[in-house]
Order: sequence, then C-alpha cells, then structure tokens
Amino acid sequence: MLMTRVIPVLLLKNGALVKTVKFGRHSYIGDPVNAIRIYNELEVDELVFLDIMASQGQKSINYELLRKIADECFMPLCYGGGVSHINEIGKILELGFEKISLNTWALKDPNLITKAAQKYGSQSIVVSIDIRSGLFGKRRVYTRASTKNPGDPLTWAKNAETSGAGEILLNSVDRDGTWSGYDIDLITEITANLSIPVIALGGAGSLQDLSDAVVKGGASAVAAGSMFVYQKKGMGVLINYPSKNQLKDFLN
Amino acid sequence: MVQSSRITVVNYGLGNLGSIANMLKKIGAQVEIVSNKNEVEKAKKLILPGVGAFDAGMSKIRSANLYSTLDNLVRVEKIPVLGICLGMQLLAEGSEEGEQDGFGWIPCRIRRFDFGNLNESDKLKIPHMGWNTINIKENKPIFHKLDREDTQFYFVHSFHAPFDPAHNFSYATTFYGYEFASVIGRNNVIGTQFHPEKSHKFGMQLLRNFVENY
Amino acid sequence: MARLLKSKISVLYNVMCTKNIFNDEPTWQEHWQHRYEQRQKLRICQRCVFDETIKGIGFDKDGVCNYCRLQEDLESQFPGGQKGWEDIIRISEEARKSGRNRPYDVIVGVSGGADSSYMLHLAKVELGLRPLAVHFDNTWNSTIATNNIKKVTTALDIDLYTHVVDNQEFDDSCKAFLKAGVPDLDIQTDLGLAATLNKAAIRFGIKYVFEGHSFRSEGICPSGLYYMDSKYIESIQKKYGTRKLTSLPHMWLSSQLKWMLFNRLKKIRPLWYIDYQKENCKAMLSEKYGWEWYGGHHLENRITAFLHTYFHPRRWDNDLRCIGYSGLIRSGQMNREEALTLLRKPPSVDLEIIELVKKRLSLTDEQFVSLMQLPKRSFREFKTYKRTFERMRPFFYLMAKWERIPWSFYMKYTAKDGAI
Repeated sequence: MLMTRVIPVLLLKNGALVKTVKFGRHSYIGDPVNAIRIYNELEVDELVFLDIMASQGQKSINYELLRKIADECFMPLCYGGGVSHINEIGKILELGFEKISLNTWALKDPNLITKAAQKYGSQSIVVSIDIRSGLFGKRRVYTRASTKNPGDPLTWAKNAETSGAGEILLNSVDRDGTWSGYDIDLITEITANLSIPVIALGGAGSLQDLSDAVVKGGASAVAAGSMFVYQKKGMGVLINYPSKNQLKDFLN
Repeated sequence: MVQSSRITVVNYGLGNLGSIANMLKKIGAQVEIVSNKNEVEKAKKLILPGVGAFDAGMSKIRSANLYSTLDNLVRVEKIPVLGICLGMQLLAEGSEEGEQDGFGWIPCRIRRFDFGNLNESDKLKIPHMGWNTINIKENKPIFHKLDREDTQFYFVHSFHAPFDPAHNFSYATTFYGYEFASVIGRNNVIGTQFHPEKSHKFGMQLLRNFVENY
Repeated sequence: MARLLKSKISVLYNVMCTKNIFNDEPTWQEHWQHRYEQRQKLRICQRCVFDETIKGIGFDKDGVCNYCRLQEDLESQFPGGQKGWEDIIRISEEARKSGRNRPYDVIVGVSGGADSSYMLHLAKVELGLRPLAVHFDNTWNSTIATNNIKKVTTALDIDLYTHVVDNQEFDDSCKAFLKAGVPDLDIQTDLGLAATLNKAAIRFGIKYVFEGHSFRSEGICPSGLYYMDSKYIESIQKKYGTRKLTSLPHMWLSSQLKWMLFNRLKKIRPLWYIDYQKENCKAMLSEKYGWEWYGGHHLENRITAFLHTYFHPRRWDNDLRCIGYSGLIRSGQMNREEALTLLRKPPSVDLEIIELVKKRLSLTDEQFVSLMQLPKRSFREFKTYKRTFERMRPFFYLMAKWERIPWSFYMKYTAKDGAI
C-alpha cells in the first residue's frame, strides 16, 4: 500500500538552516550537513530544501553545498530557490537531487515548467505555490516576483498542472511557523480540482494535523518545518521525525 | 563480508548515478561509472540506471554505441545485470510509452497504469510516487533479509511491468490500484521498478544482496 | 622564498607518499601494538590504570597513585548512600523554594548522553522537581543523541531550551585550533554548554543548575591534558580564524563573576551525591524511555567522538579511555583486568567521522594529515586567563565552597602548573 509521504522542509540561508514564522523572523537552526545526516539516519521519507536567499535573487544557487547535502542522503531530495533556467535544473539533478521546485520563475514564465517536464519528466518538477490572505481574508498567490496577477490559487495551480508540473507544494504563508494546523479549506479546494499530487505545507504542529491534511484535505503528502526542527512550540531546536509506529498510527 | 567484485554503473546520459555510486561505496563495493563501449564491455557485474522516457533511454543507449555490447554481456557473457527504474523497463521487450524495442531480455511489455476498471473513488494519481511495500513471489537471493513486514522502497513511475502469475519472471509485486510487478527477472538479469539508492536501509540491503549474492 | 616553497613541496610530497598513522589503518594498528609493548615497561598504579606518563602523577608506598587518593577524598566528601541522598533532597527543597512562582525549579544540562538523560529522570521522577532541559547544540550532534533527547524529554514532558551555535563559526574555530597545533579541540562545546546553562538560568529566573558530571564514572581528569577558557578561544581565533565568533556563548571572566556573585547561580552535580551506577542507569533509561547507547562515553557528539577516538590517541598519544575506566575501577563499577584488556586495542574509530571532519572543515586528505603533523604547541603560548585564575585562587576557593563553581574548576584552574 502506498504510504503517505511525510516531508521535512528545510530553509537555507547563507549556508545555514533557519526557520521562519509567516515567512519572517528567521531563527537559526543549525548546520545543514549535520541536520541532513540526522534526517537520513532517522530514515525520513523525503526532504525539501528551499534556499531563501537564492529564491529572493540575492544569492546564486550554492551547488557546492547541494553536493555535500546530496552525498549524505539515501532518500529523495527536492531543491527549490532561484531556479530559473533549464540548465540549472539539469545541474542540480545530476548532483543527486530527484526533484526541483519552481516558484517565482514559473510564475514569470510557465513555459519553464513545460520545457523542464519535457526534458526531465514531470515527476522531477514540483511547482511551489505560496498563499497569503489579503484584505478581507481572500487568499492570493504570494510572490516577490513583479509579474502580472497570477490569479487566484486554484487558477494558477491548474495552470501549473496543465503546463506539466508533477506535483504542487502548497504553502500557507499565514500558517507558516504557527503550529496552528494546516489551512484545510485551502488544501481541499486545490486537491479537489487537480489530478496531480498536492503536498500540504504550513502550520503543522502535531501528528493529528498531518492526518487531517490527508483525510480531510485530500493531500497526497504532508510537509512541515517547525514540527521537525523544534522540540515543541516555543521551545528549543531539536532535529526530530516521528517514529515508524507513530506514522503508522496516524497516517497509514 | 563484501565480495571484492567491481560493479559497473553504466552512464548513458540518464539516471541518478551519483546516488547509486554513493550507496554502493557505503556498503563497501568497488564502483566504476563508465560510458565508453570499451570500458562497458569489461564489466563483470553491471547496473543499468535510468530516469525518464522509454524511447529516450533506448535512443541514448544506441547513440552511445552500447546496445550490442550490453546485449552481448547479458546473452553471451551472462554477467549479472541489475536494471533500476527506467533501467528495469529497458530490460523488457518494449513499452506502451514508446515506439522502440527494449532489450527483450525479460519477455514482457511495459504498460501505463490503467485504473479504468476501478470505481471513480478508487482511482489513483499517476505517477505512482512514494514508499510502498513488496510481495515476494520468487525466493531469490536479491531478497535476502528483505522479507520483513516493514520492507518498503521508493517508487516514482507512470509505467510498470505487468504481474503475470502464469510466468515466473515477476519476482515481486506491489499493490497500487492493482498488483503489478515491482521486481522482474530472468536468469542473470534482474530489474527493480523502485529506486534502491533512495530507499534507505532497504535499498542498501538489496544492493548488498546484488553485490554479494550474484 | 624558493627554499620555503621547496620545503613546502617536500612536506606535501612526504605527506602524500608516506603511509602514516593518520592515513593508513594497518600502520596505526601496528603503531598501537608497539606502543602497548613499550608501556608494559612503565610504572602503573596498582589500583587504577594510570601509568607514569600521566602528568602530575605520584605513587605512594602501596603503589597507589595520587589520583586514586584524590577520588577517595571526593568519595569521603560525597559519600553517597543515605547521607548523600539526604543532601540531594535538601538541595532539591532549596531549589523548589527558589523556583516558586517560576515555570521551572532547576536547569538540567543535556546532551543525549547517559549521565544527562539520567539526571532528567532523577530531577523529575525521583526528586519531584520541574526541570528545564538545556542543550548546547554545536551542530555536530549524532542522530542517537538527538533522538535520545527527544525520547526522554517527551516521555517526561520536560521543556527543552537550546542554543545553536552558527555552524560556520564553530567549524572555523575548530579549524583555527587545529592550525594552532594545540590539543584543546572542542573546548568551545564545554564552555558553550556552561555559558548556555547560565544564560538559560538567568533568562528563566532559575538559581539552580544541575550538571551531569560523575567522578565515580568519569574519574579525575589529569591536569595538563587540555585547557579551556574563553580568552584562549578568542586569541586562537584572532590568530588563525577567519570570522568573528558572535554566536558562541562565552565564559568571559566578567560574566563568570557576575553569575557567581550577582546572580548567585548554584552549580550542583547531583551524580556526586548519589550511588550512581552507570550500567544500571543505562538499562533503566533504555527500558523506560527507549534511550539508546552510542558506543562510548562522549561519543554522542561527532566532534567529541573525533577528539576522543582519533585526535587525542593519534596526534597526542593520549588514550582518554583510561580516565573513565580508572574512575569506574575506583568506584567498583569496573574490573581492572577488563580495563587493561580493553586498552590493549586502540579506541574504535568511525572513519566516516574523519571524512565528515574533512568535509566540514573543507580539508583535503593531504591538508588534514599535515594539520595532524604540525609541531605541538600548548595553551601557554597564547593569551589566556590562567595567570588571573591562579592569582584569584582564594576567591575561587570560597566560590567552590558556596557551590557557585565546581570543585574541579578550583582544583585544576587555580593551581599553579604542575600541581593538581
């Protein structure tokens, strides 16, 4: 039986791991290579790395660090952050990553998704969508890119699917780092209208939250940041991952 | 104790070679990644990786001038060969995904996942992506220490080898909507649809079995 | 200039071509065997396994060393048994009183290791206190240690406070110490933990700090083995480092004085008071909390493991295992013959950790070996607080008496060189 994937999402900033709250308030978590080693030994299902500085266009992709990270892992890895060109995708995949996450540059030109999927296969291309509530609580696609209005979340998600994305990484900015649970309504809306897998991200604080995203929200996989880098809400840094039994009880 | 046989990983332009080599090194095997015909033909034990489309795979093998070398290694020299993911699919006669013929070392054709016979609510997403378990059908050395309840591997594919109980080339099956063959084999050739190099200790055990028992 | 270049090339050539104890395991095994044979000719304590190469050692008429006598002194000061238990109960009461109206009664320093994990159990379950677990993450934690912290704090419902040092700063400081040619690697972790405990205590308004040291299982560290203070770290960093250490918690003398005199933080070592039987406690932790053993004392952290299993034995010819074994022998928890048998073989080393060190410090194999072969230097060649500590000896005596600092600090850091 296919297990629900449970995926730690790690944020890179200037060669270190950090964690955010609502995409701000960066707190230092530790050394990426040692953290990866620990997650590898804890046998996590999959890992996602997002380079914040590269994503904001402030730094270029740190291939050397990515190589060191890929060397440590015996599970699938996904990289996101500033990927704008098909050559970059090829380079990162060659280092040992399975998937690339496209966000800003896919919004600027969805054709990038198509070209990448054609060359490397849809299963290697994840489109990451950050959602934030605007005035009156209306959810919008959040991006730093100065692009034309990408439309509401569902429109863009469907566009990404049509363009060839293999998966959607759906991230709630409002819930990021809050431990308050996923945005189930948002997840449901997207999963009900797409045929490709959706990975839920943003707000997970407990194993029950992970389960809800799948059972109530229809997510194919669940991702979390804070839950897997802190001991508890508001407490100290501690790289951790649920045991196989816990995952079995809550998800499978 | 690991045999000191050399494992040749064929680089024909597709596949996660680095990860395979990393895992082989971790289990203490001697690894070489080669792409040149002259180097490939010296192989004593070989891994054929691959990620991507069937025709792309066969085309690249032909344009790298490796088709007859590989065919000879399997049919004449009879060296042990392990195909992974697309590499497994190329061992077959052909695929619904493409026009070209495969190597035909295992007599089956690769098919697309088809949930047409299932109820709407049971229809599943394609590709089959994530961790899944295997049902061992043939007791082969490749499965040594892997017949445990928690054994699972990482899959990511849209096409699969069919499970055919009438023939014994389906070494193990996996359930995704229906049973399909996740490990196929015949004589000196084995193929895994999943990625051992991305499957933690289970993948490590499988590669160790390939290194030590073949 | 040409001569300098020639000599550098020659060293590199030698390093690359010659098999030595830093790049060839069979050579190391042979070296250890030879070392063992040579050491059979040396005088060894009749009670523990310290031999005459231990700095500051002396033997009495019974052939028993002064470190054994020192542990006997500690044993009489902290006898364990009923008296020890009553003392720790009394201290817990004081801690409980001082923790009233605060979220926690006591700080417990944790590493994921046996001693600190046991202390959490002791504090919460047996002494009925409300501990805050405090961890200094030097970014080299092993998976087992991290998992142990998770299991024990979750099962006991204990909150965890962590200070994580910047990985690049920490690695830069480690590399600086290697370049300086001194033995004092990883003192950043010891001082970092001590400072983090103090800072956490102040942040949460807690007066009592439990430290997980046990003389019965860890023995007495010989003087001169390594030296640590924050001024030393800074002076090495200035000379050999490439970045400022802004995230490494420091034990500046001024801060220490403040903590001792103004904040009046009390440093207690509970394992000194009770009959701490390490093996029994490990078994209890495994059964109750799923705690896992990591193969050796201090091996729960990868850089510390490098220090104990590779750096000290190979570069400095120090087998640190004899310190712990001697402690266990003196407290009746280990058989002397068993210890001598274990010491015949070199410390077991995980070669992956060596690769990790090279990877993180960006060293090629050759660069690593040449660092291991640098001329040996000592802390005395750098600016440190040592002289100051010596001059303040009477003051630190009082501080130790009032439990503001551990006795071992007083004994080792304020004594003139050569004395214990």
